[in-house]
Amino acid sequence: MEHTDIVIIGAGLLGCFLARALRQYDLSVTVLEKERDVCTGISKANTGIIYPGYDMAPGTLKARLTVSSCRNFPELCRALGVRYANRGSLMVGFGPEAEASIRNKWEKGQRNGVEGLELLSGEECRRREPLLAKGVRIGLFSPDTCVVNPWELGIAAYENARSNGAIFRLSSKVMAIHRIRNRRAGATAEMFPTEQYRAEATAEFYGTEQYRAETPAEHSGTEWPLKFIVETAETSFSCRCVINCAGLAAGDVHEMAAPPSVRIRPTGADYILLEDFPGMTPKMPPDVSTRIHSRMPLRHVIFHEPEQKRKGLTLVPTVDGNLMIGPTEREPFENPTATEAEGIRWLREKCREVVPDLPTEPILRTFGAVRPNPYEVLCENDRWIPSGRKLFDFNIKEEEGFFSLIGIKTPGLTCAAALGEYLTGHIVDFLGGASENPAYDPTRCPEIRVSEMTWEEREQWVQNHPDYGRILCSCRDISEGEVRDAIRRGAVTLDGVKRRTGIFMGRCQGSRCLSDVLLVMAEELGCSPDEIRKDTAGGIL
Amino acid sequence: MKEKYYDILVIGGGAAGMAAALAASEAGAKVLLAEHASLPGGVLNRCIHHGFGLGYFGEDLTGQQYAARFRDRLAHSPVDVMTDTSVLRLFPDRTAFLSRSGSLQKIAFRQCILATGSYERTMESIPVPGTRPAGIFTAGCAQGLINESHMDIGERILILGSGNVGQIMARQLVQAGKTIVAMIEQNDRPGGLPRNHRECLEAYSIPLMLHSTITRILGEERICGAVVRNLDTGQEQTFSCDTLITALGLIPDRSLADSLAVGGTWPDWLQLCGNCESIHDIVDSVTLAGERAGKAAIKGEI
Ligand SMILES: Cc1cc2nc3c(=O)[nH]c(=O)nc-3n(C[C@H](O)[C@H](O)[C@H](O)COP(=O)(O)OP(=O)(O)OC[C@H]3O[C@@H](n4cnc5c(N)ncnc54)[C@H](O)[C@@H]3O)c2cc1C
Ligand SMILES: Cc1cc2nc3c(=O)[nH]c(=O)nc-3n(C[C@H](O)[C@H](O)[C@H](O)COP(=O)(O)OP(=O)(O)OC[C@H]3O[C@@H](n4cnc5c(N)ncnc54)[C@H](O)[C@@H]3O)c2cc1C
Repeated sequence: MEHTDIVIIGAGLLGCFLARALRQYDLSVTVLEKERDVCTGISKANTGIIYPGYDMAPGTLKARLTVSSCRNFPELCRALGVRYANRGSLMVGFGPEAEASIRNKWEKGQRNGVEGLELLSGEECRRREPLLAKGVRIGLFSPDTCVVNPWELGIAAYENARSNGAIFRLSSKVMAIHRIRNRRAGATAEMFPTEQYRAEATAEFYGTEQYRAETPAEHSGTEWPLKFIVETAETSFSCRCVINCAGLAAGDVHEMAAPPSVRIRPTGADYILLEDFPGMTPKMPPDVSTRIHSRMPLRHVIFHEPEQKRKGLTLVPTVDGNLMIGPTEREPFENPTATEAEGIRWLREKCREVVPDLPTEPILRTFGAVRPNPYEVLCENDRWIPSGRKLFDFNIKEEEGFFSLIGIKTPGLTCAAALGEYLTGHIVDFLGGASENPAYDPTRCPEIRVSEMTWEEREQWVQNHPDYGRILCSCRDISEGEVRDAIRRGAVTLDGVKRRTGIFMGRCQGSRCLSDVLLVMAEELGCSPDEIRKDTAGGIL
Repeated sequence: MKEKYYDILVIGGGAAGMAAALAASEAGAKVLLAEHASLPGGVLNRCIHHGFGLGYFGEDLTGQQYAARFRDRLAHSPVDVMTDTSVLRLFPDRTAFLSRSGSLQKIAFRQCILATGSYERTMESIPVPGTRPAGIFTAGCAQGLINESHMDIGERILILGSGNVGQIMARQLVQAGKTIVAMIEQNDRPGGLPRNHRECLEAYSIPLMLHSTITRILGEERICGAVVRNLDTGQEQTFSCDTLITALGLIPDRSLADSLAVGGTWPDWLQLCGNCESIHDIVDSVTLAGERAGKAAIKGEI
């Protein structure tokens, strides 16, 4: 058994940012993640938008955190050395219902304290974004909407949390959580940490044999009461607090240690990513936050507000300079991460409606994502059934040191850092305070991307770091040095290298550089190229 | 940054680039050939099969042998060959940035020959619905993994598309004891050269399914099958496999030229040859196109 103050389950955006925030205090933090790498769940496939906050019901935690997160986003990215682009957004409507809804959002925006919102006429919308259809009659402009590659943000939080002392255990699936209750009614804090109590409590779960074998020696010296035991296949952890950030599995993990309250119904989403626009990729000014590609057909994030509450279209000029179209909303068919032909057709149809002259070819790739839709359950005749109550706000459940974030959908990316701070406050309160960690450093040195350096910088850098001169990916201008660095920073799979460097994301989709990358990885990881996996636990090349 | 000068910069050392560099050099120009890989030859280096050079050398060579002959000529010529070197970008003032281990260099030139070959159309670009598990390769990528990196990619293989590269890979895989579950082609006849159709598909009884396409990829971590639809009847059939190879054709790689294009045309000091100009089925014609480009560059110059 290992001891830690806090166990976080799941190393997605939420788990990584929470670990980072908690290390502002002198608390030991262990993050358990079932996959071989971080940010392989919802955090790797989403729309990547930092929302300004006019969509959220006024007065909710969601509204408050979104507005402050968007405002602080440039600063967060600077601290963590993460690329982002401040594109601004236009929400556009064609009919009377959309117009009413957009005006309503403007009002909500005012109440939520969103700055810079402007209601625009159709003509004004087309002036700012000439590809918009003639039928657009109203638009809501927000200057602060940003885009980011969500996995880059999550990985940066992971690295920063680690360098601040959070421990990450990968390939560690949580199988069970045991709560050790103090069975003596009226026990006060001083009475907690008695050997007797621990002995009883642990014996209750492990049997006296095992307790005698391992617990006393390990427990001596701990000054706090044992409250939870979290088990993975390999080992178990005793801790004072457990925070469940298990994404799609958060409902199930919650029920390992608490009665059912909110469960998750997954639905699918399809996206199209268009190929890079010619001449856009190499050599951007180093300040990526301002970079707008001259040949990019759209400058803003476009939200299409449909009539009759149907699903609208979203168009995103990504940080890398591709145009992303999506997501759809559909029931998952077999595997929720699979894309569906119908979804792709729908996206193209909607594009013709909203931006008729936008070429939707050539396609770089399509991908599927999964939404963790939360619904509340209640017990009726011994069965847990949906309560039917609408859930507007973030679902954060707390039961005596066991915190669950269940069904954190949009804007979970926007609010990841803020949710981490928010929870940290509650956790420290629960623990009755904690001393500050004087060594805490919120900054991370950004990774080197040769394609984003000026020629002079690049020449210097390559002279001193020869590997960065050997280009492995000609589609996106990515060097061997970047791939090696990604592996040294924790990538163990092809997709891990992809998410950290951007390799395999250009138009050849890795077909030209795969063998070179495999050789570099094999050398760096000390294995044979055949042993390298694409992603997740069992997959092979 | 100090720049080095050459009369002619040849970008890409495949069949086209090697021929162009040699032709220009023979006519007296000072030539630099920049090649991304560590060995010039391009796609030829992964072709262990015969069928190269019948026209140019009057001999039936493997792709690797064909490339070796040109490497030999280069070694005995005054052409400066820089391998493991990528040309990053061309500029309107006739300069280029080249990157290699330890150095970034600026080259100035009078004429440039682009011989950067092609890249393969991917399944992602079609796109085929379903999951994206491990075990999906383009034919050229599979060919490189097997013939250059000596790796094993799978046992039961489904092939989507019937381009030349796919047909040649089908033959090679059967020879290596693998099972080709089927080759799926949407048209009413296989793509590629009739010669490959005879020598690869018919000779090895590769099950070819015409008027068909893959409508869904199955599998979580590793591909385990695909749904194939007959485009005439609409009937669907599930094939199990552990590997999918896509042979959907080649696309000229003109990215260096595209970033220079103004109003759809390139500057007059830039010439394209080989597969980056148009896709060639036969290497001999690529070599000839390279030689023509090399000579033309000299004419434009002297
Ligand atoms: C389609 C879509 C689009 C979105 N677009 C946006 C957007 O534009 N802007 C925005 O702000 N937000 C957006 N979001 C929301 C945002 O993506 C999520 O809120 C955020 O990624 C949630 O992160 P997470 O850490 O909860 O989940 P995940 O990344 O899924 O992390 C959960 C982790 O827990 C691990 N895990 C699960 N079970 C166990 C176990 N038993 N033991 C150990 N580990 C376990 C998983 O492997 C996983 O790594 C979008 C969401 C979706 C679905
Ligand atoms: C599988 C296969 C089988 C074939 N079979 C036959 C056959 O049996 N008989 C036959 O006659 N022909 C055959 N061919 C056709 C013929 O071999 C090719 O058409 C020909 O070799 C293409 O030559 P290329 O120089 O145009 O392109 P490539 O060989 O693709 O060369 C392009 C080169 O440019 C380099 N490059 C690209 N970008 C840069 C950059 N920015 N900086 C530096 N270098 C760069 C690449 O590394 C590459 O080496 C076959 C082709 C294939 C793919």
